[in-house]
Amino acid sequence: MEVQDIIRGVQPLVGEVRPIKTVQETQPAEEYDYAYVAEVNVKSAAKVVKVLDAAIPRDPARPMNHLRRFAKQSNLPKHLHPLLLGDNASPQSIFVLIPPPLPEVELLQELLAPFTLPPTNPSDAQSQPHSDSNPAGQVQKLHLHTVKVPTLPPLSASQANKWSNDLWPVVYNPAAARATVAPPVQVLNRTREFIQPDAGWYLSLAREVAKESYQSGRGRGVGAVAVDPEIVERILDAGGDMEERWADAIVAVAGDARYSRREAGQPSVAERHAGRGPNPVTQRYDADLEGGPDLHALMRAAEIIAYKRRVGDPDAENDKPDLSPLEEYFIAQLDSSALELKAEETQDTDTDVTPVPEKYQKTGMEESHPIHITSSSTSAPQGESSTPVLRIRPRAQGGYLCTDLDVYLTHEPCVCCCMALLLSRFRSVIYPQKGRMVSGGLASEPVVKPVPVSGSDSETEREGTPQQPAQTVSDANSSKSREYYGIHWRKELNWRALGFEFVEDVPQGEIAEDGIAFYA
Amino acid sequence: MEQTTAEQAYFMEQAFKMARNALDTGETPVGCVLVYENKIVGHGMNDTNRSMNGTRHAEFLAIQEMLRSYPKSALRSTDLYVTVEPCVMCASALRQYQIRSVYFGCGNERFGGTGSILTLHIDPSIDPPYPVYGGLQRQEAIMLLRRFYIQENDKAPKPRPKKHRELNTNFDDDPVASVDEATQ
Repeated sequence: MEVQDIIRGVQPLVGEVRPIKTVQETQPAEEYDYAYVAEVNVKSAAKVVKVLDAAIPRDPARPMNHLRRFAKQSNLPKHLHPLLLGDNASPQSIFVLIPPPLPEVELLQELLAPFTLPPTNPSDAQSQPHSDSNPAGQVQKLHLHTVKVPTLPPLSASQANKWSNDLWPVVYNPAAARATVAPPVQVLNRTREFIQPDAGWYLSLAREVAKESYQSGRGRGVGAVAVDPEIVERILDAGGDMEERWADAIVAVAGDARYSRREAGQPSVAERHAGRGPNPVTQRYDADLEGGPDLHALMRAAEIIAYKRRVGDPDAENDKPDLSPLEEYFIAQLDSSALELKAEETQDTDTDVTPVPEKYQKTGMEESHPIHITSSSTSAPQGESSTPVLRIRPRAQGGYLCTDLDVYLTHEPCVCCCMALLLSRFRSVIYPQKGRMVSGGLASEPVVKPVPVSGSDSETEREGTPQQPAQTVSDANSSKSREYYGIHWRKELNWRALGFEFVEDVPQGEIAEDGIAFYA
Repeated sequence: MEQTTAEQAYFMEQAFKMARNALDTGETPVGCVLVYENKIVGHGMNDTNRSMNGTRHAEFLAIQEMLRSYPKSALRSTDLYVTVEPCVMCASALRQYQIRSVYFGCGNERFGGTGSILTLHIDPSIDPPYPVYGGLQRQEAIMLLRRFYIQENDKAPKPRPKKHRELNTNFDDDPVASVDEATQ
């Protein structure tokens, strides 16, 4: 079939785009460590902070701002009363927390000694062994008590309350808590709304790309479609109809090609399979025949885009990927939206600033907010409206890796490809929920299907024959034995992307997790 | 890694040669070699800037070189020597290629996939686990990275000015801080 016929024949999938939760959300870590508590004079509190901050460096990667630095007697958790208050605590005292990483005891003793309270009674003084060896009797030996504290900020008010009652007083800051575990809600929602209308088209085309790979025998039935949201914006700004023009925003498509490589000079797995049609080795997992992740759809998309970024670089031709007809077609397409833009520019020269969709890509906690960026139009020098503009902006015009592109896949990518998409700086990744893979790296929890809406009374009615409804629920919620990495957004990683699953209204075909386990 | 044999030191040195090549050509200084039957059968260095492809890490180049002469199954009897702990992407790839074992220089606290961030070499998977041995010539690996990161990346769209950066030659045994800096 001609490529254009395939594109014309694409029927969009119908369904809903849903954000993939982060592993910080689905597997909330409760990590604890030990801190010191010391009793100091309430009047010296400000000085104590100054002295401690000056002498003890803090690890910026482990902010402890959620832990209250001081606790009054009345705020201490009950279980600490016997330890800290004893029989008769001084009303002059307040308790300072020294959070982990813990400094040397000797250093703390030295720093805090000037701020301790004199003993309230003789028996207390005796219990502190060195206190009466000090002739001046002024400086008290400081007691450092060890307490357990949560090292991560609380994610809810109730968690904060629980910790305050059971461990140490904590502060709950909803915004700060979320920033450490998930992308900002407004960025996530805006991107989801942006993706939702056209996702069905791109996912459907990804299936066509997958079919091409599978039918040709080059690989498994996995496909990728990379879309530039900037082009979508331009089409919409120019009043274009995405139902008509969705394909105009595609910068590259790529299919799986794991059987295509000649290893050790021998014919490839694809070549060894005589005849046309799918390769029979797709029916099992034999590591020796699987090529490698560099031949997976997502990695190939990054490779194809990289190749086009190097237009004009003679060296690039040595790296030209081996392209299928669909792959070849899309990288040759010009950016029609840029042509329209140029037409506008000739009328009004002041409009050569193109708004770029808000992006969310970041390298550090402190930058976890959306960044508005505006880039100058990348069109060729003025007056040359006939110069073709490629959809993939070359390096010479500021194109870089796969920055801010969206990638639509038929399957949940393997861990390797998930990290590849972060290293390539994609903005977001979308795949159908039924394309989840046991070897996948994006999902963060098992699929939870809605439990049939049957009230508790209907359950009791059916008490005699509960088999059928119960069976359905447990099947739907059965979790495959697999890891849930949520690689798209992990707080430890330097780069992050937004991850979405597409939940079809009427899912068709088989669930990939139930099929042969391989890497997509 | 406590004791290294002369052979291991030799292969690691070859990996460092690749890393220094990378530094000389403006790439992140990470290098590696693949060793099969006591022979180097693949070389790699980071190639992301030249290729405009963020996935072109040293490990992939070395594997592709090896596969020109050997079948994939030979990787099951092959060891990787790499100057920096494989990233999450490469750690998963090495699992899929069923590497026999991995020796590395310094850890990678930002992207490391074999212990630092994730433990992909031993996690449950459809391919067998592989052992890793870290800390071979760690200081040299870190120094190469530091040397690179005080330069400006003129390949990036908006190079960050780094005029005031000085080469830190201090090793107060704080691997986290050093690699942190190195892999920003």
